[in-house]
Amino acid sequence: MHVMDEETTENIRMLCDSASALVPADGSLDRVRAARFQAPGFSRDGWETVAEMGWLGLRASEDAGGMALGLPEAVALVRVLGSGLVPEPYVAATLAIDLLEDAGPHTALDSALTGQDIILPAWQATADGLDPAAGVSVRNGRLSGTKCAVIAGADLYAVTTAEGLALIPRDAGGLTVQAIAMHDGTYRETLTFDEVAVEVHPSTDPVACLARAMVLHAAYLHGAAEQAFDITLEYLRTRQQFDVAIGSFQALQHRATEMKVQLELARASIDAAAASMDVGQLDHAGHMAALRARSRAGELARLVAREAIQMHGAIGYTDEADIGLFARKLVVEAGQFAPEFRLRERFMTHREDAA
Amino acid sequence: MTQPPFIADHAPHPDFNALSDAEFRALARDFVESNYPDIPRFAQHRLRWPEVRPWYAALARAGWIAPTWPQTLGGMGLGAGKHLILIEEFERYGAARVHDIGTVMLGPLLMQYGTQAQQDYYLPRILRGEDIWAQGYSEPGAGSDLAALRTTAVRDGDEWVIDGQKTWITLGADANMAFVLARTDKTVKKQAGISFLLVPMDAPGVTVRPIENLEGHAEFCEIFFDGVRIPAGNIVGEVNQGWTMAKALLGHERVFIGAPRLSANALGRLEASARANGLWDDPAFQDRFARLAMDLADLNDLFETYVQRLRTGAPIGADVGVLKIFQSELYQRISEELMQVAGSLAGVKLAEGGDSRFDAAGTYLAARPTTIFGGSTEVMRNVLARASLNLPK
Repeated sequence: MHVMDEETTENIRMLCDSASALVPADGSLDRVRAARFQAPGFSRDGWETVAEMGWLGLRASEDAGGMALGLPEAVALVRVLGSGLVPEPYVAATLAIDLLEDAGPHTALDSALTGQDIILPAWQATADGLDPAAGVSVRNGRLSGTKCAVIAGADLYAVTTAEGLALIPRDAGGLTVQAIAMHDGTYRETLTFDEVAVEVHPSTDPVACLARAMVLHAAYLHGAAEQAFDITLEYLRTRQQFDVAIGSFQALQHRATEMKVQLELARASIDAAAASMDVGQLDHAGHMAALRARSRAGELARLVAREAIQMHGAIGYTDEADIGLFARKLVVEAGQFAPEFRLRERFMTHREDAA
Repeated sequence: MTQPPFIADHAPHPDFNALSDAEFRALARDFVESNYPDIPRFAQHRLRWPEVRPWYAALARAGWIAPTWPQTLGGMGLGAGKHLILIEEFERYGAARVHDIGTVMLGPLLMQYGTQAQQDYYLPRILRGEDIWAQGYSEPGAGSDLAALRTTAVRDGDEWVIDGQKTWITLGADANMAFVLARTDKTVKKQAGISFLLVPMDAPGVTVRPIENLEGHAEFCEIFFDGVRIPAGNIVGEVNQGWTMAKALLGHERVFIGAPRLSANALGRLEASARANGLWDDPAFQDRFARLAMDLADLNDLFETYVQRLRTGAPIGADVGVLKIFQSELYQRISEELMQVAGSLAGVKLAEGGDSRFDAAGTYLAARPTTIFGGSTEVMRNVLARASLNLPK
């Protein structure tokens, strides 16, 4: 058990309070609704808030101008962002910052931390892939190939390659960007590189960066799932049918408790992963913890999404009910960082290597 | 039955919690490898007292019998993390589970609610193996609905007179002491009139009847009380305050029934059988195995959060039910997979003392009651829904 010290607890309290800058205390999702299906799927104002709050530098070193806080603090903040369905790509941006730091000192890090440039990662070659080196190749200072499922809205892309990290402006010659609308109102992009001129910065451990991002992503899913669960519980307590609250039906109670079981497992798994990965080099156990946290959260997200719709009845399938926003976000986000069967495959590889 | 005492011969403990996890793991591994007696490993059913006694003795002599008790009371004083490591290392070796109702349940309860005299008398007797305890909670008709119990205790001078019946008592025939919930006031609300009593099993009027389970083991028994007289001082807490203690103990019990131990043991056997019969490298099997292994590791993380609450004295609360529900269902899912791996020979009944690592049907059957005892899954979901999720009745 990783017992938090008082300083960490206090940092977390302050961060969670600060999240009200983007997550209204009254649960209003008006801002979230307005940003949907307006490319890139989030607002530049929202991004400025993210930067002003200092969240981008949360885990970055003090030398780089960051706060040098740990993964548990970041997890706590992201959980709140998830509970408010914040569409700004905070987790993706911190992955890019992590990759930049991993690739050594770089001026782009400053502009990423201040929010002046939005830098987002392009690491995935296929929708079920987990290898950051795949999809592209560099020859004679020219990058070719494709990356997919890139979160839209970047000024620059942090592209992972077998040779290291390449930073490529959105308007670089030879880069074609194809955007796809997602069900939650955000966009993903497929990037096609045709002999794009690049400078490559050698990476030390991009897979470890991915593992940390996976845990943050799991925290986002957990925060959103927990809020959707709370909204659903409130509905079960108040909605009357056959002259009683539907929450008194044992069939629904038992299914609600299954969501509770999965929420608590996800919380324990994510918090333990964040605490254990926070110190030192990422070993097999750290990778396995990240894969677990992300797997559990992905399955939790789909469980809560489908139960929320079912328990709300037909209203849950309408666009006007807020619970539908949660369902959409959960099913879209659940698949990020590869499907669970791939995560399990990777888990078993680490398990064998650790033995 | 009177037990001979196992006198601890250990020097004062080092501060185990000051060791790194790796150091403590190495220490625990070395301890079990050097001290585990010549008795079955990876035993699938609970070993009876004559079988497991040498292991209890080894643990008691070293001062390792009560890992979570404070060192000042003769325990190891382990924090939650170190305790888990100890469990893992014992599990990895296949060490049998000793008779631990005294160390896990009664001891901590006496520390919280017992008189100084009760603590001074009973705690050392548990450490020395002089008293082996049984838990007398369930009755025919009062299982998950514990408050419906009918066993009575009537005050007669300086004694309580107990009449009734307790059932589902794990290893009760091996115990020389039992703690028993009995109704001491029939005129009040059913939870309000219950007391917590300590009963010697050799008292006149106590009868034990073994119950053979589906695997053919007499692991359980019933105890009948027919005018059993015990001293008035054999009550823990106040008269009619037994429900408070029952709830506290059930909270502890649900933490420990939710311990990853059973699932960890079964998963180890699943891996061993799959490797032994060549199924291990099958990708479909690997995917199913990975899911179970990840579930088990997540259960570990969740278990740690509750053990931490126990250690710090934080309230356990109704949501502890999630732990017990998930552990028992995971154990059952692993047992399903064991049946798949064993195929047509899953039903083979192994001889006593055989390598029970490969007893698929035995594990399958052994996994059945885990969703029943300690509060059935269905009742626990009802409790969770009302007490934790605040859903209406």
